[in-house]
Amino acid sequence: MRTLELSWRLLRGGGRRELLGAGLTLVAVAVCTALLLFAAGINLAFDARSDREAWRNPVRASDAVAVQAVRHGFVADRSITVVELAALKQGLAPPPGLSRFPAPGEVWTSPALAALIERLPADRLGRRFPVLAGLVIGDEGLIHPGELVAVVGRAPGDPAMTWLQSAESLLSTGPTRIAGFGGEPSDMAVGYSILALIATVLMIVPLLVFGGASARLTVARRDRRLAALRLVGATPGQVVGMTAAEAMFVAVLGALLGTVVYGVAVPLLAGIPIAGGTWFAWDLLPGPQYVIGVLLAVPLLVGLSAVVGLRRVVVSPLGVAKRETPPGMRFVRVVVTVALVAAAPAVASGTASVAALVLAVALPFLSIAVLGPWVVGVIGRITARSARGPARLLAGRRLMDDPRSAWRTVSGVVLTGFVAGFIGLLTPASGLLGDESAGRLQIEVPAARVAETADKAGERLRSAGLAGRVETSGKGDHRLVTVVLATEETATVDRARTALAGLAPGHSATSPADDQHQGEVMLADVRTGTIVVLTVSFLVAIASAGITAASSILDRRQTYALLRLAGTPLSVLDRARRAETLVPLAVLGGGAILIGMSSGAALAPGALNGSGMTTLLVCVVLGFCGVIGAGALSRPLLRSVTDNPAPRPD
Amino acid sequence: MSEGMVLHGRGLVKRFGPAVALAGVELAVRQGETIAIMGPSGSGKSTLLHCLAGITKPDEGEVTLLGRRVDTMRERERSALRRTRFGFVFQFGQLLPELAAEENVALPLMLGGVPRAKAVTQAREWFGPLGLGGMEHRRPGELSGGQAQRVAIARALVTGPAVVFADEPTGALDQSTGHDTMRILVEATRRNGASLVVVTHDPQVARWCDSTVEVRDGRILPAAAVAR
Repeated sequence: MRTLELSWRLLRGGGRRELLGAGLTLVAVAVCTALLLFAAGINLAFDARSDREAWRNPVRASDAVAVQAVRHGFVADRSITVVELAALKQGLAPPPGLSRFPAPGEVWTSPALAALIERLPADRLGRRFPVLAGLVIGDEGLIHPGELVAVVGRAPGDPAMTWLQSAESLLSTGPTRIAGFGGEPSDMAVGYSILALIATVLMIVPLLVFGGASARLTVARRDRRLAALRLVGATPGQVVGMTAAEAMFVAVLGALLGTVVYGVAVPLLAGIPIAGGTWFAWDLLPGPQYVIGVLLAVPLLVGLSAVVGLRRVVVSPLGVAKRETPPGMRFVRVVVTVALVAAAPAVASGTASVAALVLAVALPFLSIAVLGPWVVGVIGRITARSARGPARLLAGRRLMDDPRSAWRTVSGVVLTGFVAGFIGLLTPASGLLGDESAGRLQIEVPAARVAETADKAGERLRSAGLAGRVETSGKGDHRLVTVVLATEETATVDRARTALAGLAPGHSATSPADDQHQGEVMLADVRTGTIVVLTVSFLVAIASAGITAASSILDRRQTYALLRLAGTPLSVLDRARRAETLVPLAVLGGGAILIGMSSGAALAPGALNGSGMTTLLVCVVLGFCGVIGAGALSRPLLRSVTDNPAPRPD
Repeated sequence: MSEGMVLHGRGLVKRFGPAVALAGVELAVRQGETIAIMGPSGSGKSTLLHCLAGITKPDEGEVTLLGRRVDTMRERERSALRRTRFGFVFQFGQLLPELAAEENVALPLMLGGVPRAKAVTQAREWFGPLGLGGMEHRRPGELSGGQAQRVAIARALVTGPAVVFADEPTGALDQSTGHDTMRILVEATRRNGASLVVVTHDPQVARWCDSTVEVRDGRILPAAAVAR
């Protein structure tokens, strides 16, 4: 209790600059917490979507109670999921989102589909679902709020529930005898979950580094103060306790602030469309166990990081107070790094599990974090040795003197360089899937009914007043009847789809472009995801660089003041400061991008493309400019701390 | 300008909010002269030093160095002046902890554009005469208090300044080490033809100087009052 009290008094009594340092830590922890909650939230949200969608992926069962068929139709370039259900027994439990099992002839619609039916002319959509009785599918049966879903009740003998599916169908699952609505996650849902997990791993390491770095923002001040306390007899335990208490007190406030910020941001985040739609806000809210977990983990991490930063004070009370030559970084870091980088491809190729995949991404990432400070030390030695002017000499000596601190400034951007290298080059190019025709509507029919269906299709086109011709193709049991429209205009295509609805039981008229719809959506999402991950990572990294640069000035204000007093122009101090950041950034950032590229290429060989290269180049340029900008923002602070260069005891 | 006059402060007034630190001070320093400025804490002696050295601008009055106005110079010019014409020795924390002792001494030369190798060679020449032989590569944290002050003296003199300012240069040292440090400071300054302005509250330190002025409540006491 005494320790806590003393920590609080030292924090409060430290004056404006101490409070400013604490404020910076608080903001950094808040940002870190909000983004961690977002990372947890987005993964849980994909899982929740997957769970809510599972019932629409029927699993064949021998003890069947119902028959289920699923097909996709389209309207206004949006997919409509049509689920057809027939009960084989009385009193069956309804599927998720429905209050009862649909009776034959009933059509249940999602709110978004009902609204669209209201809004569009009947010949574009409404006539495809003739018997509407205001039956609405609830949220628990929908992937996202804007999803277009219809559940149609059928009798078991209805032709829509008895047709045989061909192997090639991408947009429909033929009538399947099911024992319940457990279902299974779709391949698409699993894909999204894996992508979200990879994105999380890529984002979480810079975030943890950021959180850790923020804990040590004011470490030099604290170092000196606590070294003084050690000199007057404080035990290592008391020093550790005080450091942890002070850091964690600020971190708890920051974590709470971050939670509030995330809560406020959720409605905005929920508006970002991924996988075909926006989000239910409650999907993005992690459960209380996750929130409590983050609220406990973040302050613990911050406290731990602060304590680790104080090892030298605890080991020797004179170590920091006298500023001796620090021990060099150990070469073992290089050995560990090489091992981690080498292990990654082996882990990736060994198994196909999600855990192995995540590990393959995380290992090279971790290796950069381990190697970073050592490389900074080496760069410092080279810079100091080769320096001719005072700015480079000061920068080099500073990097040598405290490579960990210099690493903290650039670590965020360097680790983001890895992210950019990893996913930047893998950004799928637009138009990757080709440009298929939307004006060729196809219906799959049994061979015996080709002629009859083609005739009916022609008649329906004519009666709907649409121009086009009918072709037939294919061999074997299943043939294709293709309606070639004179135009690919969306409204006309929608009218043709409506005119052809029900022509072949259980089938929607779909175009080759429809077949690629899901793939296109996913590729667009990967592109969006790439941009989001890179933007968040770079913002975190640049904020981290800015905060660390500012705190570095506060920590070293006596040094700067003395240099100004000795007549050093502000521009020399600024050049030294810039060199301290940019030299390691250029070397380590370049290395990290290369490691990222090689890791990405190992996971998805042959995926490199020009669009990815552009993304990567944009990232590198923006990242570099961002760090320079963040450093420049702290120049007024440098000016203010050196305005009155008279030295005073700190 | 009086003959041999290097530095001259006239009618210096400096206020910090409502507090008056200097209330019209006049002080002249001749070439090669050593002056001690004495006075109790808060009397304004350090503020006087800062005004004379171009660290702080006085609110009123003027400071001239070899006939050139210092107080009207822009910050950039005052920085250059401090780098080339003045040297500083303070009580504590004046050496950069990241740099080796010889680099600390070489720094003012490098800031003036001397190439590093030449600056370090020039800096090393100061180590033997000041009793610092073999300590060129040590970090400030690895030097004793007296040794660190001698490194600071070398740094103050390495550019061949016109005036060296020292603010409580022995304040953190024991009596014997303080005595040695003052002897070295005064001798080395004289040897280089520079003037020395020392702020101190210790009469033992003041005794090393040619003359002493006493500051009380922002004013210099008349010589008779000092003698009493």
